[in-house]
Amino acid sequence: MTDTHIKGLRLYLPPFAPDTSGAASVAFPTGGLSVIIDAGGCAGNICGFDEPRWQTDTSAVMSAGLRDMDAIMGRDDRLLDKIERALSQIAATHITLISTPVPAVIGTDLHALRRLLTRRCGLPVAIAASDGTHAYDQGASQAYLGLLEALLEPDTAKLPASVGIWGTTPLDITRPDADQLRHQLRISGCQHVFLHGLDHGAEPYKAAAAVERNIVIAPSGLAPARYLQQHYHIPFTVCHPLAAQQLETMLATTTDALPATGQRVLILHQQMAANAMRQAIRQRLGHEAPQINCATFFAQDETYCEPGDAKFTEEYEFPEWVAENAPDLIIADKIYQRALPSWHGIFLDYPHFAVSGER
Amino acid sequence: MKNNVYSITAAELAAGQTEGLPDEMRTDTHLIYNSPGSLDFNSPGASGFGVKRAGLAIPGSIMLLISPACCGRNTAALSGPRYADRCAYLELDENDIVTGKHLAKIPAAVAAFVASRPTPPSAVSLCITCVDALLGTDMERVARRCVERVHLPVIPCYMYALTRESNLPPMVYVRESIYKQLQPRRKDSRAANILGFFTALAPDCELFELLRSIGIRHVRSLAGCRTYAEFEQLAEANFNLVLTGEVRSSAAWMERELHIPAIELKRVYSLAQVDNQYKGLGHVLGTGFATERYRAEAEQAMMALSHLLASRDRKPHLAVGSQLNADPFELSASLIATGLDVDEIFGIPQPEDSFYIKKIAAASPATRIYTALSPSMLNFDREHSDITLAMGTDAMYYHPRAIPLSWNDGAQPFGYQGITLLYKKLLEALTND
Repeated sequence: MTDTHIKGLRLYLPPFAPDTSGAASVAFPTGGLSVIIDAGGCAGNICGFDEPRWQTDTSAVMSAGLRDMDAIMGRDDRLLDKIERALSQIAATHITLISTPVPAVIGTDLHALRRLLTRRCGLPVAIAASDGTHAYDQGASQAYLGLLEALLEPDTAKLPASVGIWGTTPLDITRPDADQLRHQLRISGCQHVFLHGLDHGAEPYKAAAAVERNIVIAPSGLAPARYLQQHYHIPFTVCHPLAAQQLETMLATTTDALPATGQRVLILHQQMAANAMRQAIRQRLGHEAPQINCATFFAQDETYCEPGDAKFTEEYEFPEWVAENAPDLIIADKIYQRALPSWHGIFLDYPHFAVSGER
Repeated sequence: MKNNVYSITAAELAAGQTEGLPDEMRTDTHLIYNSPGSLDFNSPGASGFGVKRAGLAIPGSIMLLISPACCGRNTAALSGPRYADRCAYLELDENDIVTGKHLAKIPAAVAAFVASRPTPPSAVSLCITCVDALLGTDMERVARRCVERVHLPVIPCYMYALTRESNLPPMVYVRESIYKQLQPRRKDSRAANILGFFTALAPDCELFELLRSIGIRHVRSLAGCRTYAEFEQLAEANFNLVLTGEVRSSAAWMERELHIPAIELKRVYSLAQVDNQYKGLGHVLGTGFATERYRAEAEQAMMALSHLLASRDRKPHLAVGSQLNADPFELSASLIATGLDVDEIFGIPQPEDSFYIKKIAAASPATRIYTALSPSMLNFDREHSDITLAMGTDAMYYHPRAIPLSWNDGAQPFGYQGITLLYKKLLEALTND
């Protein structure tokens, strides 16, 4: 008899995009020097797997190249020297420090590093205190807040008809979908649309206090939107405007009809995308809509939950929920099917790059 | 210096060798630029064999990766029949890292992993990362507890990126961990092992026929093993041929514990050096090899390229990277010796490259050497270059408009066969130019 209820054990699902990747994804297009404070492997994982722009776009993503003696002796001075040296060779508007398990274990003081760097290099410094043990949305939130703290210009004049979109990194939205989102917003009268995590340069963060409103499309965007609401009274809404269209695309790939009243659907994704898909199904089916539960392995904010929604932490919780609730349809990234070897309902693929690394 | 790219000519590098490498050519003095051209340095498993794939080299084995989620993320890319369903993960949280509690869970996790597989595995690898390196985890002891639980070989694999430049870097250590599973066996005088690569030597490599000609009936390698029983047969070898330095310490262990002596050969692309290596090998084994036929094939391939180039008005300009089946400095020296122009080399010189750098400096002093790891490479102009042909995925990245020759296939080239294939590929690539 073996126990599979072991904290942290994943027998079927590979690790999801970690906080380090989320932070790096936010920093990637901003025109700064991104320093991943690691030995090399984290930077390789982030860029080699979680950053689809990396093959086509150029960004100053560097590994600190830590070695055993750096970690044992805490040689932060060498890291500062390396950063200063890199800045003598490349152009950068700011620095983003992205922490990983090694600095977390040795207790690197990121705030002290930020102060020292600001003094030595004269550039704004953002920090993301990721440690590799959390999910990508937490790291992305940290980087968003870090960049706002470092770059935001509070006295910028209000931009008329402007909107900031938060949560738009490639881990949550594809480039074509993001382009379409911008297009839709422009058609609806927005002159300035800032996609935080996709748009190039530091300008979206400098102008973050000047926008009229914010939209959050993924949990990673909640923290910066709330920060801007609290400090600059900028209202925000939570939605995922492309869900209805994504539902159409999904249904075009199957001959199965959507379940109806009396049946049950599980949507497993990041919370905003799952909620938006639920809304799209309800709009499509009206009063004949089935019971729909949303679930996520990522951040879940109670404000946006309905009764019966689930938050999974351990891998085994997902198949157990499915066994207990017997949904007729699951809408989720197809990689989740690996954890359901004995479930034979209808499964519709709702890709999530942060889960499978596939579109 | 801003907006410039660091490089050094072969002449400058050769002249300054007595003072050591310039800082920009060392990996501990600057940030490491993380571009597609440096991926194999930061994450060897992303495009080739890192510790994870290497740890699964034992046929039928499975691997439990014990780490924060970030270390295992790219393992999702391991797919195909060779790797499907062979990995599971024990993700550490902050509490585990602070208290070391995860260590107590490992035997139960291994038991659950083994029980979940449709067929029983032959062995279990335990892959641990920088966190456990810093915690000083005694994984050998944990592995022994796992053996008691699942009654299978349990192998610790250390993916310690922090120790990359130590005396026992991860790719050396993982090879040791694998070969140390072998138990002493009765020797078979007609068996030899090829040690070094994680993929098999090209099947048309002359080495197989040459060994057969002296009575060696079984030429085995780790990559060629399809079952655990075949893996165990590696312990029967009469001698080992060591083809890469990373397996040297494993070969030394096999010599000490299994009484299998080792002979080291190097992959080179110079006819004269291949000649010398086979003469040396014959001398050590107390025999001689008839290599004329293979040498003639290589000469013919080189001649064909030479004829093509003679018919052209302009000579091709080559860039040689380090992400390929060669030592970039040895390969460049050999290509230059045959009359080709190597304008650029992307690589970090190692102490053993000194000889080749001097040769390059003498024959082609203006050849520029870049390190793909330098932050200044961010400024490299990838759109405008005079390079005709780029060899290796890093050189191909920096010269996207040049004719690409990855020279990085899974089937490992070696000896005359390597030279023959290389020049045929060069001929093919440049013919279509």
